[in-house]
Amino acid sequence: MKTISRMTQAELAAYVQSHLQKKGITVILSGGAAVAIYTVNKYVSADIDFVDVCYADRKKFKAAMEEIGFSEKNRYFIHPDTKHSVEFPPGPLSVGDEPVRRIKEIKFSTGTLRVISPTDCVKDRLAAYYFWNDQQSLDQALLVAKHSRISINEIKRWSQTSGKMKEFKIFLAKHSGKK
Amino acid sequence: MLEPLLGSKSSEKVLIFIEVLGEGYAREISRFFGIALDPIQKQLGKLELGGVLVSFLKGRTLIYSFNPRYPFLKELKVILNKALAFYPEEERERLLMNRRRPRRRGKSI
Repeated sequence: MKTISRMTQAELAAYVQSHLQKKGITVILSGGAAVAIYTVNKYVSADIDFVDVCYADRKKFKAAMEEIGFSEKNRYFIHPDTKHSVEFPPGPLSVGDEPVRRIKEIKFSTGTLRVISPTDCVKDRLAAYYFWNDQQSLDQALLVAKHSRISINEIKRWSQTSGKMKEFKIFLAKHSGKK
Repeated sequence: MLEPLLGSKSSEKVLIFIEVLGEGYAREISRFFGIALDPIQKQLGKLELGGVLVSFLKGRTLIYSFNPRYPFLKELKVILNKALAFYPEEERERLLMNRRRPRRRGKSI
């Protein structure tokens, strides 16, 4: 198997996730690293955010991460052979106030990566745009929508439920313009 | 009031303060309720780590507000508002009347 220094971000994420799974810790990839995967690295993120969906004890995380050479610094786990840091935002896995149910599995030589679906990835980015007017998050949502197969109807339904139809229309207009 | 549910009095005070005023920083909350700064800071950190609150730097002050992406926010707010209705009249008034609108520097009261 590849050494950590030669792994891409996605390979590293699959490696870490598979190792944690063996230790009984289930996590799902979300955040910027998911955007990077669905945009074929058109977007670059140094962070790997794994949402803890089994509510494991922090000590258990630390012990499992240390076994593969990561050490904890503040709330991040870093490794001397990679620029990518790993973080474990708290669960539940959700976008807005809805739980995320659809998980996509992608196989790599380093392990199997479980990641939120492209549609949920777009919703996750849009949530930051909707609530904080974060333009970078809107750009990321547009990039994912451009490079992956997503359900516009589902995003529309979710936006409606969140009371953000005005913002959704801006997203849709930009998305349609980019096609 | 919500201490049995939230685990600490400071946690309740922090959440009530932010629910009523929209945002707050540790020293402000500690002064308002007359509670030591340390437990307030600890609760703010804990609630941020748990995804309930988010923080932003304004100048050199770390301001906390609710995380709009927290999945139980709507439900939490319902409980907080219910609890607020049971707060002593005087404390509720003090919270609700806490001035937030801008005041020109040097303007007489």
